[in-house]
Amino acid sequence: MNIIIVGDGKVGYTLAEYLSKDGHDVTIVDKNEQALAKARDTLDVMCVLGNGANVRSLLEAGVENSDIVIAATTNDELNMVCCLAAKQLGAKYTIARIRDPEYTEGLTMLQKKLDIDQVINPERATAQEISRLLRFPFAINIESFAHGRVEMVEFRADPSDPILNIPLSKLHGHYPRVQFTAVQRDGQAIIPDGSFEIHAGDRVYASGDREAVTDFFKNMGKNVNRVRSAILVGGGHISFYLAKIIAGMGIRLTIIEIKPDKCVRLADQLDGVTVICADGTDQEVLDSENLRQTGALICLTDRDEENLITGMYGVRQGVRKVVVKVNRLKANDLIENMGIDSVVSPKLTTANVILRSVRARSQSQSSVIEKVYGMLNGAVEAYEFTALEGADYLNIPLSRLHIKKGVLVSVLVRERKNIIPFGSDHIEAGDTVILTAKAGTVVNLEDAFARTETKR
Amino acid sequence: MNKRLVLYLTGYVLLIESALMTLPLAVSLLYGGEDHMAFLISMAFTAAIGFALVRLRPQNEVLRAREGFAVVAISWIAVSFFGGLPFFFSGWVPNLVDCMFESASGFTTTGATILTDIEALPKGLLFWRSFTHWAGGMGVLVLSLALIPKMGARSVYLMRAESPGPAPDKLVPRVGKTAKILYELYIALSVLLVIALLLCGMNLYDALIHTFGAAGTGGFSNYTASIGHFENPAIEIILAIAMALFGINFALYYYILQRNWKAVLHNSEMRLYCSIILLSTLIIAWNIAGLYGGNFLHALRLAFFQVSSIITTTGYATADFNLWPQLSRMLLVALMFIGGCAGSTGGGLKVVRVQILVRSLMRDIRRTVHPKGVSTVKLDGHSVDEGIISGVQGFFFAYMFLLVLCSLIVSLDGFSFETSVTSVIATLSNVGPGLDLVGPVGSFAMFSPRSKIVLTLCMIIGRLEIFPILMLLSPSAWRK
Repeated sequence: MNIIIVGDGKVGYTLAEYLSKDGHDVTIVDKNEQALAKARDTLDVMCVLGNGANVRSLLEAGVENSDIVIAATTNDELNMVCCLAAKQLGAKYTIARIRDPEYTEGLTMLQKKLDIDQVINPERATAQEISRLLRFPFAINIESFAHGRVEMVEFRADPSDPILNIPLSKLHGHYPRVQFTAVQRDGQAIIPDGSFEIHAGDRVYASGDREAVTDFFKNMGKNVNRVRSAILVGGGHISFYLAKIIAGMGIRLTIIEIKPDKCVRLADQLDGVTVICADGTDQEVLDSENLRQTGALICLTDRDEENLITGMYGVRQGVRKVVVKVNRLKANDLIENMGIDSVVSPKLTTANVILRSVRARSQSQSSVIEKVYGMLNGAVEAYEFTALEGADYLNIPLSRLHIKKGVLVSVLVRERKNIIPFGSDHIEAGDTVILTAKAGTVVNLEDAFARTETKR
Repeated sequence: MNKRLVLYLTGYVLLIESALMTLPLAVSLLYGGEDHMAFLISMAFTAAIGFALVRLRPQNEVLRAREGFAVVAISWIAVSFFGGLPFFFSGWVPNLVDCMFESASGFTTTGATILTDIEALPKGLLFWRSFTHWAGGMGVLVLSLALIPKMGARSVYLMRAESPGPAPDKLVPRVGKTAKILYELYIALSVLLVIALLLCGMNLYDALIHTFGAAGTGGFSNYTASIGHFENPAIEIILAIAMALFGINFALYYYILQRNWKAVLHNSEMRLYCSIILLSTLIIAWNIAGLYGGNFLHALRLAFFQVSSIITTTGYATADFNLWPQLSRMLLVALMFIGGCAGSTGGGLKVVRVQILVRSLMRDIRRTVHPKGVSTVKLDGHSVDEGIISGVQGFFFAYMFLLVLCSLIVSLDGFSFETSVTSVIATLSNVGPGLDLVGPVGSFAMFSPRSKIVLTLCMIIGRLEIFPILMLLSPSAWRK
């Protein structure tokens, strides 16, 4: 597809990198020559110097023949105008990054009037991600599929876990309702098969319905109780959205913000939240808010370093769940070694959300892809799709399908019931199928089931 | 520098070169020349070296700017060397220095030759000589980009190092696709030219040879008298127009296919290029009319052909312009410097560089009048990046510096001033013929091996626009 990305910041660059690797023709528009120079040298994309809302720049980028225009500059208004102009000039689908909460209320109307097909709010998307993490505090990452019927939960295997060093085919006997879909060991992503054994320190994705996953973690002896209280350091947009989202979850929330006027605004807009006006990176302040007894510490200030230091302090004080926001740093390995498992990055989250919808749009041949989700830093992808009548792979036992190496049929959802498939199971029309595969092995779904019809 | 990666990619280029030799082999078998064994041996030799290099698959395949330049520079030297082997193995050119000169002259689309009796050569060798023009015109690396799909995103460095012009850019987001589009346009235009020449009564073999020469803006002919051999005004006019067309930026043809007329008509480089051709043709026609009995139309035809041939740096000739009046000769030498448009198959400085140089000079003059004045150099409505301007100025200096340096070395052979200087200009700009002894009816055979090596390097340096080869001489590029 022809994709135009306006704004060559971190979001734009990440998007361009992944989309061009996916095989799309990407053109980047930005007015910063230096940012463009980097993209021009390192990515297989075309660069246009200019303002993204300027008709001339858009035409130069080939907007008439574009399939998707993504406006990802830091300026909301520019993004809106850009999408509006692009649509008028012939773009088929437009995505705008709009973050200011002032626009949230009228957003549906704005979106309709400006003909923007999708709006992505980085701060809100990040807040949603954090809220999921609070629901499953034992997880590093969670993604839900099939309207929440299937959860894919990432966790770190501890040396004391009972599942270690047992082949997965045996492990399935103990946990028949959970599927292990992907593993990361020493930085390498693995799609496990029956003979695979989990080692301590692996990052494992387990999937199944919520109950099954919770039972699984209970059996492993993990504390599955949800978080009852949380301290938020930093009172920006993310904190605001997070407070709104978890308002109904029964979590006692304390927001610590250093600027008095921001505190007043938060106190004014949010009910049932304790707002403290103090320096949240000050350990004295955290201690006085009873950090040791708190279920979660979430660091959301604008400075990566302060977030990390505060997060490390929380880990040392024994806080169950520590979430840290990181904007610029690219040091996931380092951060993991500090004991902080959950790192959120609004920019990467934004890029991921957009990437998912672009990929879903571009991959819909005989099966309707509903979701594509990058896992383990993008090394593995999970696809959700509905098997349509007439597809080649229907009603053939999985063991007889030629499934590509590195592709796993993880979960089937049939008539609202989850099936963890074995070799004897088959896919029926109407099933929701969740596949995991190494990134790049599956470009469209027909790839996963290469050459099945020869068997007939 | 990641030397393994450089050698690995060079290996690929050699494999492609070996594959390209199948064409002259087929021609040789078809005409029953005695040169087919020479091609078989050369192909096997080139492929063997290519395979050996490709086996050096590097662990780290990240191509940086310096590797990109090095790959292009080393590939071109290697391609010139291996391309000379058929001449050597066939025994027609017994000296390896001469073989490499002839082959480099082919690939760099120069068209300078060390042969004195061209008609004597077997058809296969003559075909190969001209075919190297065609392959080198659009670029050997660009060809490999089009053929090898997965060279990675950073292969844009390869394209940039090989394509002519101050800031080569892609036509579409993907490098591989851009390379394919360029070659498709190139092939389409070449096929049209072959058909046109056939219609004028040329036989297929001659039509192919002269299409390769004109499309690559090279200038090898299979006749000593070049295009003058045919004595056919229609062929002269068609070739003159074709050469002029191949000297235009290929991006414009892509825009025409896209029906983006505005981009074509408002391209100031193309307009200046056409104006230069028109003006020079008129001046020369007026200047030489007396020589041809005052027949202005005849003079006009000869002038147009020569101007088109020289500005595109092709080097075909219909008359011995060495005998023309001084003004016409000087003008032609000036055109040798200017060359074709950026992104074409032509050589020389490129029209756009001249444009930028003139405009930045005018800005410097304005600055002496208004010392605090601020102004930018504009081209097609966009201001030109200061980095590009200083790059063009540096390029111009490097060009002039090399011209003086190489002329000094060549002058050791003791030939006339005109011969020494224009031989360097003709090779550095990839034109082919110069003045005096190296004029359109002359050849480069009489130079000493030392001068031939220098001129061979001049051709490759000129084709790659200086910096890739100069970079190889910089110790810091090789440091780990």
